[in-house]
Amino acid sequence: MEQTYKILVVDDEPDLEPLILQRMRRDIRARRYEFVFAHNGVEALERLNEDEDIDMVLSDINMPQMDGLTLLSQIPDVNPNIRSVIISAYGDMKNIRTAMNRGAFDFVTKPLDFSDLRVTIERTLQHLMEWREALSSRDQLVALQNELDVASKMQQSILPTEFPSGAAYQSFGHMVPARNVGGDFFDILPLDRGRIGLAIADVSDKGVPAALFMMSSRTLLKGAAIGTESPAEALREVNSLLFDDNEASMFVTVLYAVYDPATGEFTYSSGGHDAPLIVHADGSSTLLPLTGGVVLGIVPDFPFEQHTVTVAPGDTVILYTDGVTEAMNSNRDEFGIERLQQVFASSPPGDSRDANRTVFDAVASFAGDTPQSDDVTCVTLQRREPAS
Amino acid sequence: MEITTERKGEVLVALTEDRVDGSNAREFQEAVQAAIAGEDAPVVLDMERLVYISSAGLRVILMIARALQGESRNFAVCSLVGPVREVFEISGFDKIIQTHDTQEKAVAAVQG
Repeated sequence: MEQTYKILVVDDEPDLEPLILQRMRRDIRARRYEFVFAHNGVEALERLNEDEDIDMVLSDINMPQMDGLTLLSQIPDVNPNIRSVIISAYGDMKNIRTAMNRGAFDFVTKPLDFSDLRVTIERTLQHLMEWREALSSRDQLVALQNELDVASKMQQSILPTEFPSGAAYQSFGHMVPARNVGGDFFDILPLDRGRIGLAIADVSDKGVPAALFMMSSRTLLKGAAIGTESPAEALREVNSLLFDDNEASMFVTVLYAVYDPATGEFTYSSGGHDAPLIVHADGSSTLLPLTGGVVLGIVPDFPFEQHTVTVAPGDTVILYTDGVTEAMNSNRDEFGIERLQQVFASSPPGDSRDANRTVFDAVASFAGDTPQSDDVTCVTLQRREPAS
Repeated sequence: MEITTERKGEVLVALTEDRVDGSNAREFQEAVQAAIAGEDAPVVLDMERLVYISSAGLRVILMIARALQGESRNFAVCSLVGPVREVFEISGFDKIIQTHDTQEKAVAAVQG
């Protein structure tokens, strides 16, 4: 039988309780979720103290007596293995960012979209399960391989499962993890004014500590993406936050871009990550210039810069990690960006999913039987041709 | 993984070779640490014969740089070629770690 997860919902608005019970009734009837409710932070802490079975907290920010942000900072004292998701007003970046800094796993915005909420809850619970497994592995001092398996599942649990698209564009992302080494992740998220944010990243180490670093990178990046106006500003912020708490000298390379479907403008900033490739409709391609950044988490207050290009109708932007360019064949040759450009020259991309698959097929056919030594990750964004 | 060392005046030059990736990064770290431990000379890591370095390898270099900084010892890398140079440029490590074209320049730069 599947486990029932207990979720504590904290909100001072009386409407939320009946609404959640109604909209989630199938999951409740199927004993997938059980909901308990509190109306402010103080009550929530009491609940958590009484009930050790609570897996997850879903909390509003503005509440009387104790607000959601204060609650967040106190939850770990009660139970460090609970994951929290914050409900905030859209665009309330200051609070979302504070919440992420205080360890919130994710956030949803008001008015609540229940299918989005369900996806977020599932992802959070999935992550929680991997986390618990990681803890028990550590307790049992099991083999390194097992720890890596756990880390790899944690990595999978933070990847998006739905990709934004619209009349003027479509997007797609995919990752194939390597068995032993890895630390890639990506995110594609809707921003305000119809824009979308695209991130691709590679964490420098492997194992559970690296997976945790990856998780905070992803969470902080998501917060910064929504709260800042420009990619460079987002990277400056994530860099500073990662730097503040980085004893282990870990780092992450990030390419973060904002795309505006209304204008075709694509603005990107590189934190030590490979430059984007634009593939045109005829299969020819342009490698965009780097923006002079450094990896994130190492240099305090680094002045990240950005670059803007206009994506033409029919163009496909390809973001990738070094698992693509450094994939090796049996002669120990590297795949390299030029080979990818040649592949597209002879088979121009169809849609964004097709272009994505082309990258993975090309890498796989180049590598042949040579085992994959690093995660391979690719995010594609296509500006659609206007309908004729 | 073999790290050979030589003296250039007071400077300790450590020569790396082959490849550093996730599978041997720890071994690389131990080898470099062993090669430079127990003294207070400035260090140059010569990468002329290094053909590949992954991000796990970069992290080792960063940790070595920090450890040496903690001991107030100067540190530079030199003679980056091909993919290694590219990795340093893309990752911005050439802005984090003192980097020189030749061993001579690096030795001159780290000398007291």
